Amino acid sequence: MKPVEEIRKTRYQTYALVWVVLIILTGITLSAAGRELGGWTVLIALVIAGTKSGLVLNYFMHLRSERLTVFKIIIPLVLAVFLVFILLTFSDLAFRGGVK
Amino acid sequence: MALMILRRFGKMDDAKELVAGEVGDATGARLGMWLFILSELLLFGGLFILYSAYRYKNPVDFHHASRELDVILGTLNTIILLTSSLSMVSSISALQRGDRKLSMVLLMTTIALGILFLINKGLEWGTKIEHGIYPNAPALLARAKGEILFYGLYYVMTGLHGLHVLVGVCVLLVMLLFVSKGKIRSTHFTPLENSGLYWHLVDVIWIFLYPLFYLIS
Amino acid sequence: MTPAGTAESIRPRISFYRDQGRYRGILSWVLTSDHKRIGILYFIFVIAFFFSGVILGFFMRLEMIAPGGAIMKPQTYNALFTLHGIIMIFLVVIPAIPTIFGNFFLPIQIGARDVAFPRINLLSWWLYISGAAIIALSVFTGEGPPDTGWTFYTPYSLRTTVNVPLAVFGLFILGMSSILTGVNFVTTTHRLRAPGMTWKRLPLFVWAIYSTSWVQILATPVIGITLALIMIERFFGVGVFDPAKGGDPILYQHMFWIYSHPATYIMILPAMGIVSDIVPVFARKKIFGYMAIAVSGVAIAAVGSLVWGHHMFVSGQSDFAALLFSLLTFLVAVPSAIKVFNWVATLHKGSIVLEPPLLFCLAFIFLFSIGGLTGLIQGALASNVHLHDTYWIPGHFHYIIFGGMGFGLFAAFHYWFPKMFGRMYNRKMAVWAWGIMLVGFNVFYFSMLLLGWGGMPRRYYDYLPQFRALHLTATFGSWILIAGLMLMFTNLFRGLLKGEKAGDNPWGGATLEWQIPSPPPTENFEEIPVIRHGPYDFEEIRENG
Repeated sequence: MKPVEEIRKTRYQTYALVWVVLIILTGITLSAAGRELGGWTVLIALVIAGTKSGLVLNYFMHLRSERLTVFKIIIPLVLAVFLVFILLTFSDLAFRGGVK
Repeated sequence: MALMILRRFGKMDDAKELVAGEVGDATGARLGMWLFILSELLLFGGLFILYSAYRYKNPVDFHHASRELDVILGTLNTIILLTSSLSMVSSISALQRGDRKLSMVLLMTTIALGILFLINKGLEWGTKIEHGIYPNAPALLARAKGEILFYGLYYVMTGLHGLHVLVGVCVLLVMLLFVSKGKIRSTHFTPLENSGLYWHLVDVIWIFLYPLFYLIS
Repeated sequence: MTPAGTAESIRPRISFYRDQGRYRGILSWVLTSDHKRIGILYFIFVIAFFFSGVILGFFMRLEMIAPGGAIMKPQTYNALFTLHGIIMIFLVVIPAIPTIFGNFFLPIQIGARDVAFPRINLLSWWLYISGAAIIALSVFTGEGPPDTGWTFYTPYSLRTTVNVPLAVFGLFILGMSSILTGVNFVTTTHRLRAPGMTWKRLPLFVWAIYSTSWVQILATPVIGITLALIMIERFFGVGVFDPAKGGDPILYQHMFWIYSHPATYIMILPAMGIVSDIVPVFARKKIFGYMAIAVSGVAIAAVGSLVWGHHMFVSGQSDFAALLFSLLTFLVAVPSAIKVFNWVATLHKGSIVLEPPLLFCLAFIFLFSIGGLTGLIQGALASNVHLHDTYWIPGHFHYIIFGGMGFGLFAAFHYWFPKMFGRMYNRKMAVWAWGIMLVGFNVFYFSMLLLGWGGMPRRYYDYLPQFRALHLTATFGSWILIAGLMLMFTNLFRGLLKGEKAGDNPWGGATLEWQIPSPPPTENFEEIPVIRHGPYDFEEIRENG
C-alpha cells in the first residue's frame, strides 16, 4: 500500500509574496553595489544573498515545513563544512607573511 | 539519461514487487534529492573557495575586471531565475490541487525562463569573446594577473552553472512529458517535486554568483 | 529477535543467486537492482583491481631491489607508482568495504529488503566500471599513463604531456559513483530500519558505513571540482593553478587534500566498523562502550575533515596554518584511540574464539596502532620537516591503509564468506595465510619506516648505496607478503568452489544477517523482523558450528 504523498497547503499568495521580497532584496543589493562601503561591501552582499537563499530554501523548497531532524540539520551542516574549509584555507592564505 | 534507461530495465528485473523506498517513500526520495543537493553545493563551494582566495589576493584587479560585466544583463538573469523558481513551485502546487493544465503552463513558463537565461548567458559570453576576453586569449593574458583570474573564474563558474541550468531544462522537459501523460499526477508528484528542488538549487547558486561577479564595483 | 527464514521455516529458501527476474545469465547480474548482487559485482572487480595494484607494487619493489636501473626506465617507474596509487586508492581501498559489504549487509543488518534507491545503486556500479575503464584507457593510449603521482600536483600535472586529463576524468566519474553510494546509504539508514531498530540498536558496522557515507557526500565534490579544473586548465588555460597567470599551486594542494584527507577516513572507518562487529562475536561478549564507538566514528569523520594541511607542512603554507593543522591532527588521534581501547576492553575477560576473522581483527589493531602512532610522529611539525617525502610516509600509510583497512577487509572476507556464499573455507589454511602475510607485511613496511627515518626519498627511482640493505629487505618482505596473499585468495577461491556447506550462523553472531539463510534469499527476510534488543545479545544464539 502506497503511503499518501503529503500535499502542502501553501497558498499561491505566499509564494508570490516571497517572490516580491526576493525582487526587493535584489534591488537592495544592486543599489548597495553602487555605493562606497569599503570593507563592508562583501559582507553586505553575502548577507543579502544569504537572506535570499534562505527564503528560497525555506519557502520554495519547503525546508521550513520538514519535520524530521535530518532535514533541519543538512543546511547548517553544509554551511559549517564550507565555513571550515574556507577558514582553514585562509589560515594559510592570510598569514603567508607571518602572523602580524 | 542513464537513469531513465536503467529505470526501464531495472523495473523489469525486480523480483521484489514493492521494495520499500523504491515506490511509495516520498520522504525518502526527497531526502535523497536533498543529499544530492548538498553535494552540488559543495561542488560549487570549491569554486567559491578559489574565488575568495583570489579576490582576497587581487581586490583591485577584481574590482576593475568586474566593471566590464553587463550589470543589466546580470540583474535581468537574476530576475529571470527568481521568477522561474516562483513558477516552478506554483506548478507543483497546481498539480497537487489537481489542476493539471495550470501545472503544465507554469512548468512551461519555468522552462522558457530557463532557456531565456541560457540565451542571455550565451549573448554575454559571445560579446566577451568577441572583445577577446576569454581564457588564454592574448588580450586577456596581457592584463593584470587578478583580471586573468577573475575572468577565468567567471567563465568556469558561470559555465558550470549554465551547464546545470541546461540539465535542469532537460529534466523539466521530461517532467512536462510525464505530467502531460498523467504519469505524474496529484497522487504521485514526487518526481516533479524533486525536479523542483534541483531547479531551486540552480537559482540559489546564481543568487550568490550574481553579486560576486557583477556587483563588486 | 524474531528469527526469519531459519532452518525451521517451512517455505523453501531460494538463494539470491537464482535468476528470478526478466533476465537470465549475465544480464540478470549487470542489470540487477538487488543490493546483494551489486555487492558481488563490486567484489569481483575490487579484487581484480587489487590484484593489478599488487602486481604494479611487485614490479616497483623489483626495480628498487638494488640501486640504479634494474628492469625499467625512470619514466616507467614514475608511471608505475602513479598507477599503483590511483588503482589502490580509488578503485580498491576507498570503495571496497562500503560497496562490497555495505551494499551486501547494510540493508540486512537494519532489517530492510534493499537500499533506498536500488537502481541508483546499479548506476553507482556502472559509474565505477566506467571510471575504471577510462583510467585503463589512459594507460594504453596516447603518450601513456600519468607520471605525476596519484596526487596530480600542479603545475607539473598541467604541463606533462601524458594522459593526465583522461585519467583525471576517470576519477571524476568514480567520484560521482562514490557520492551516489553515500546518498543511498544515508537515506537507507534513515528510512528503512525495521520496526524497533532504533539508532542505538544498530550494529556498529552500520554506524561506520553511515558516518563514512556522510564524508563521501560532503568531501568528494571538492575533489570533483579540483579534477575538473585540471582538465579545464589543460584545455582552456584558465589560470587558477598556474603561477604565470596569478594562480597558486598551493591552493591546488588545499583543494586536493580537503577531499583526500577525509578520503583516508572513508577508507578506515568501515574497516573499524567491521572490527567492532567481529570482536564481540569472537569474544562472546557485548562490545565495551557501544555509544563511545558509534560517536567516535562520527568524531573521526568530523575532526578528520579539519586536518588536511598536514600533507602540506613543507609546501609553503603559512606557519600559522601549519600550527593549526598539526594541533588538529593530534586531536583526531583521540577518537581512534578510544576505539582501540574499547576493542581491547571487549576482548578482556571474554571467551575468546581464535578463528580467522578475529585473527585478522587482532592484526588490524596491532598494525593500525603502529600506523596511527607513526602518524603522530609525522604530524609534529619539526619531525615532519625531516620525514616528509621520505619512505617514512608510505611506510606510515601502508600500515594504516594496508595493515588497517586491508586486514579489516580480509577480516570481513573471512567473517562474511559463509553468509555470502553458503560455504566455508579451510580455516587452517586461512590462519597460515594470515601468519605469512603478517610476517611479510612487517618485514616489508617496517623496513620502509626505517628507510624513511634514514632519509630515503620517496618516488625516487635510484638511491644511495647506504640504503641498499633495507631496500633488499623490503623487497624480500614484499615477496613473503604476496605469497601470503596468494595463499589467502587461493584458500577462499577453493572454499567457494569446493568448501563445506556452511550453516546459517557458523560463528554464532547476533546481528540480523546471521538469522537468515546462507546465502540469503532475494527478499532477505520472509517477514520484516521486529527488533527488541541490541546487536550483541549472545545468550539467545546457539552456534550451528
